[in-house]
Amino acid sequence: MGEVMTAQGRALPAEDTADLREIGFRSLDFSELALRVEDELGDELNFDAPGLRRIATVGDVLDFIEQLQSA
Amino acid sequence: MNTRRRTTALIGDDNTVVVAGKRLTWRTLRKLPQLPSPAAVLVDNGADALAALRHHAVHGTELLVATESRVDERMREELGESGFAVVLPDGAITLPRLKRVEESGRAWLLTSGSTGRPKRIGHTLESLTTVTADQPPRTWLLPYSPGTYAWWQVVTLSLTQADQGLVVIEPSELEEWPKIATEHGVTAASGTPTFWRQAIYRDADALADVPLEQITLGGEPVDQAILDQLREIFPTTRISWIYASSEVGASIVVHDGKAGFPKAWLDRDPHPERPVLSVDGDELVIRSPHHGAGQIGAVHTGDRIEYDGDRVLITGRLDTDEINVGGSKVSAGVVRNVLMGHPGVSWARVFARKAPLVGRMVAAEVVPNRSLGPITDADLVQWCSTRLPDYGVPRRIKFLDQIPQKETLKSDV
Repeated sequence: MGEVMTAQGRALPAEDTADLREIGFRSLDFSELALRVEDELGDELNFDAPGLRRIATVGDVLDFIEQLQSA
Repeated sequence: MNTRRRTTALIGDDNTVVVAGKRLTWRTLRKLPQLPSPAAVLVDNGADALAALRHHAVHGTELLVATESRVDERMREELGESGFAVVLPDGAITLPRLKRVEESGRAWLLTSGSTGRPKRIGHTLESLTTVTADQPPRTWLLPYSPGTYAWWQVVTLSLTQADQGLVVIEPSELEEWPKIATEHGVTAASGTPTFWRQAIYRDADALADVPLEQITLGGEPVDQAILDQLREIFPTTRISWIYASSEVGASIVVHDGKAGFPKAWLDRDPHPERPVLSVDGDELVIRSPHHGAGQIGAVHTGDRIEYDGDRVLITGRLDTDEINVGGSKVSAGVVRNVLMGHPGVSWARVFARKAPLVGRMVAAEVVPNRSLGPITDADLVQWCSTRLPDYGVPRRIKFLDQIPQKETLKSDV
């Protein structure tokens, strides 16, 4: 997540509770992060597996990615 | 067997034809045994393909010629069921399962198959001979795979016009074609943008040595970057790009060194010798006098266009060019043009990747220009960010070692 933020010229806040809208982490950034994870793992991920949920904070993003990897 | 002489005069029968380093003429090419008709002649070298074409031109037989590798077992069976005897490179003939009367003078082409399995499109030597005005004496490079529309364009020019020599390039010679072309005095060459990009990428100095007076690009979307690179290497050469396909023939020819064609060419008054170009939605539609059999009237080409000022750009196939990123649409061709405009990029392919939240994201594969030092994905993302909306910026970029190229000289961009 830090790499995605850095590529956009921004820094990842330390707190998991940080609000995504406030730090400017948008849908495209989130999607890019998922693709980075996919490339790291070298395997196609099932993006539908974690189900619909509210993703509002840095912690929500990290949870989602964790669930993607274990799905 | 039909032995009528055809009406298209073989004015070029004494033109030079260089195959495998040997200087011959059309007339002195190796004679093939009398071919059946209809015949699908599958070849493993360019000389036999030319010999099959000349046989067709002299005897008026029904012919499909293609490389052996492009016609799989299933297609061979389909050809047999459609009345074709299948002739293999070693001369072995599989007789047709259906016996029918030949269509005298019919030449069959296989489409490139970019939209699925190759289809058969019927032509005649006359409908394939689109260059009829007198041409300055030239020696043409022939790098195309036998039987493709582009191959027929070059070979019919050589067979029907005086002083139009040919230098055949076999697939095994593609990497060193500039050397062969220089050795045999090639002055005109036609190839896909991928073909030209590879030549520049491999050895731009060797390419610059070829005494080219005419450069032609076709078979894939032509972007401004490749036109500019060729212009830099060949400042005085005529550089043209052609939109042509088996279905509608050669329909757009542009000589002004710019990508796309003038908007003013759309919806012009009908003229017997000139195709009518129009746009339906964002699809290019062509009504062409050079069309294949059964392609009369307006043909929806399946190619997507975008307007850029007073030009119409052909960006790619309709079914793959548009990428929908969370409801915002972007053309893969436009993104590719932006990437190709970066001086550190020799080749790029842009495509959609499935992604959460937005459905699809723009991704790219890139071959860097080695002579200009290393580039990073961050460099390219930044380059694109200042030229494209944020949803059009490829966020994932993979670097490749070499430019991919298929037998058709295309790279499926």
